[in-house]
Amino acid sequence: MKAVITLLKPRILSFKFKRFSSDNKEALIKLSVFGTIGVLFWGGIFAVSLRVLGYFKGIEELGDILAYKLLSMVLLTFLSVLVFSSILTSLSKLYLSRDLSLVHSMPVSSYKIFIARWIESTIDSSWMLIVYTLPVFISYGIVYQAGMFFYGNIIFVLLSLSIIASGISSLLVMLTVIAIPAGRIKSIFVFLGLIFFLVLFFAFRFLRPERLVDPEVFSTTLIYLKALKTPAPPYLPSTWAFDSLKTILEGKIVKSLFHTSLSWSFAGVVVFINIIIADAVYIKGLSKTQTAPSRLIKRSMSAGRLFFFLSRPVRALAVKEIRTFFRDQTQWSQLFLIGALVVIYVYNFNALPLAKAPIKTVYLQNLLSFLNMGLATFVLTAVSARFAFPAVSSERESFWLVKSAPITLRSFLWIKFFIYFFPLLALTEILIIATNILLKVTPFMMVLSIVNVFFMVPGIVSMGIGFGAAYPDFKSENPAQAVTSFGGLLYMMVCAGYIGTVIVLEAGPVYNLFMADINARVLTVIERIWIFGSFGLAFILSILAVVMPMNFGEKKLANTLL
Amino acid sequence: MIELAGLTKKYTDLVAVNDLNIFVPKGEIFGFIGPNGAGKTTTINMMGGIITPTSGRVTICGIRMEEHPEKAKSKIGFIPDRPYLYEKLTAMEFLEFTADLYGVNENDFPARSQEQLEMFLLSEWSGELIESYSHGMKQRLVMAAALLHEPEVIIVDEPMVGLDPVAIKMVKELFLHLAAGGVTIFMSTHTLKVAEDICDRIGVIHKGSLVANGTPEDLRRLTDAGEADLEQVFMRLTEE
Repeated sequence: MKAVITLLKPRILSFKFKRFSSDNKEALIKLSVFGTIGVLFWGGIFAVSLRVLGYFKGIEELGDILAYKLLSMVLLTFLSVLVFSSILTSLSKLYLSRDLSLVHSMPVSSYKIFIARWIESTIDSSWMLIVYTLPVFISYGIVYQAGMFFYGNIIFVLLSLSIIASGISSLLVMLTVIAIPAGRIKSIFVFLGLIFFLVLFFAFRFLRPERLVDPEVFSTTLIYLKALKTPAPPYLPSTWAFDSLKTILEGKIVKSLFHTSLSWSFAGVVVFINIIIADAVYIKGLSKTQTAPSRLIKRSMSAGRLFFFLSRPVRALAVKEIRTFFRDQTQWSQLFLIGALVVIYVYNFNALPLAKAPIKTVYLQNLLSFLNMGLATFVLTAVSARFAFPAVSSERESFWLVKSAPITLRSFLWIKFFIYFFPLLALTEILIIATNILLKVTPFMMVLSIVNVFFMVPGIVSMGIGFGAAYPDFKSENPAQAVTSFGGLLYMMVCAGYIGTVIVLEAGPVYNLFMADINARVLTVIERIWIFGSFGLAFILSILAVVMPMNFGEKKLANTLL
Repeated sequence: MIELAGLTKKYTDLVAVNDLNIFVPKGEIFGFIGPNGAGKTTTINMMGGIITPTSGRVTICGIRMEEHPEKAKSKIGFIPDRPYLYEKLTAMEFLEFTADLYGVNENDFPARSQEQLEMFLLSEWSGELIESYSHGMKQRLVMAAALLHEPEVIIVDEPMVGLDPVAIKMVKELFLHLAAGGVTIFMSTHTLKVAEDICDRIGVIHKGSLVANGTPEDLRRLTDAGEADLEQVFMRLTEE
C-alpha cells in the first residue's frame, strides 16, 4: 500500500502546488471565473431538478412513477457516461501517459502501478459527474422529505457505482490492448462513443418529443404508462443503486442497506478481478503499446500540388497543417461530430411547428432567420474553439521550427487564419443557407444573412487564432484541451460579446428594412441614417475583430517561451 | 561569420546570459561549453532568433538579427538540443517542408534531399511517419533538414546527444568538412572530447558570463593545466 501511495504522491503534490501555491493574478481570475460558472451551473441543475420533481410529486399516482423512472434513467445514464469516460481516462493513464516508462523502471510491481493509476483514473473520470449529479439526488431528498441517512447513502451509492464503472472500463481496456495497440483503441472508442451518442440523439429527435404536448398524441398515454412500470434489469449495477435510493425514499432503511451492500460487494469483486488481471496482462499490453505506431493510410496526400499557386513558405505551412490534421486520428471523430451537428442543426429547423404558431408566419420565419445568424455564429464560435483556437498550440514543442525559420510570426498566424477561415466560412454559410431555405425566408433576409455571416466569420476565426496565439500551451499532451484554459474562456467571452453587439446593432435597422420591404413603403431619412450608421458600426467592429486579435496574438507569441 | 555583442538575457530576477561578446570568423568551428544552467541554450536560442535578447545584438553574416530576422535566419542551419518535429509528417515530407520554408531550388530538391537522407542513413525510412523514429533518428533528420539549404552558419546545441558512435564520427567529419568549405559552426556541447577534437576555439560560459575564450591550448595556459585534458580545464574554470 505504501508503494501505491508513493506512486500517487507526484499527482497529489502537483495538485497542491497548482491550487495553493499559485499567487499570480491570472490564476486567481481564472479560478474565480470558472468557479462562478461552476456554481451557477450546479445551482441551475438543482433548481431545475427541484422544479421538475416538485411538479411530478403534484401529479397523483403518475407523479411517483415518473419520478422513479427519472431516477432510474439518471442512474443508468450516470453509469454509461462513467463507463465511457473511464475507458478513455484509463487508456491514457494506464497506457499512453508520458511518465509511464519512468514509473515502470522503478522497483515496484506492475500491479501496484496499476492500482495507483487506476485510483487516479477513477477519481479523474468520476469527480465531476458526481458533483454535477448530486443536485439531482439532493432534490429527491428534499421533495420526498428523506432523512439524513438518504444523503449519506447517495455518496456511498455513487462511489460504488464509480468504482464499478471504472473497474469494468479498465478490465475492458486491459483485455483489448492485448489485441489492438492503445493509441488506436482510443480513436476507436471515441468514434464508437460518438456514434452511440448520435444514434441516441437521432432516435430521441426523430421521436419528436415536442409532439407530446400535442393533445392528439395523448391516445397512447396508456401504453406509455405501462412501459414506465416495467422494472429495470436486475443485473445492472445502476438498478442496485436505484433500488437502494428508492427504498430509502420509501423509508425502508434495512432494504436500502442491502442494495447498497450489494453494490459495494460487486465493486469489491471488480477491483479484485482487476488486480489479478493486471498482474497477468498489464505489462504485456504496455510493452505492445511501446512499439512504433503504424500508419493506417500509407498513400501520401498530394496537397503540395493542390496549392501550387501559393508562395513556397505559405505552401509549406499550409500543406504541413493539412497533412498533420488529417493524419491525427483524434480529429476524424471531431469532423464526424461536426457533420452530425450540421444535420441536427438543419433538421431542428425543419421540425419547427411554424404553422401552429400564433404569430404571423412570414414575420416569424424572418425573425427566426435573423436570430439564426446569431445562433449559427455561436455554433461557429464553438467549432472555432475546437479547431482555430488550438491551432497555434498544436505546433507543440516543434514550434522552434517556426521561430527559427525565415518567416515572420505575422505570416505564420495569417496562414493559420486562412487555413481555418475557408472551411469554417463554408460551414457557416451552409448552415445559414440550408436553414433559410427550410424557413422559406424572403430574398432580402437570405441575402442579408449570407452577407452578414460573410463579414462575421473572419472576426470569429481571427479571434480564435489570435487568442490561441496569445495563450498557447505547447506542452499539453492534447492541444485541443487548450480551449478550457483562461485564454479559451476569454476567447469565448469576447466572441459572445462581438456576436451580441453585431446582432443588437442590426436588429432595429433590419426590422425597418424588412417591414418596408413587406409593406412596400419608402424608408424615411432618419431610418436611412440609422440603417447606415448601424451597419457601418457593425462593419467597423468586424474589421477590428479581424485585425486586433491577430496583432495581440502576434505580440504575445513573440515573447512566449518554448 | 557570427558576432555577439553585449548579448544579455534577463528573466525577471535571473540574468541567464550576461554581456556576452563573441566573434566567430567564417569557416571556424566554435565550441561553447559550460555547466548545466550556465546559459548555453539561452544564447543559442537568441542566436537562432527563437528568443529576443534583453539587450545586445546578434549579427549573422553581417545581418543584424533584430533588424532583419528573416534574412538572418535564412543563413542559418539551426539544430536544437531536443529534436521536436512534426510527428505526423514523413521524413521526406519534413524535408520538403523545410526546403519550401528556406527557398531551396525546387529542381534541386529531389537530389539534395536524397543525398541528405543517405548521408544520415535515413533513406530506408524516408516514407515513415516521424512519430515512429527513435531519438537518434530524429536528431539525424533535424541535421539533414538544417543542412538542406546549404547554410553559411550552423548553430547547433548538443549535436551528439542520442547519436550512435558511427553517427558521431560521421557528424564530426561532416562539420570539419563544412568548416573547410567556409561554413561557420557554433556548437554547444557537454562532450568535451568532441569539442577538443574539432573546435578551433572554445568559449566557456559560467553563470551567464563568458569566463574563457580561446584555443584548447590557450585555455590550458589560462588555467595552468599543463598537458591536462579539456575536462580538467573545464573543472578549473567552472569550480565554485
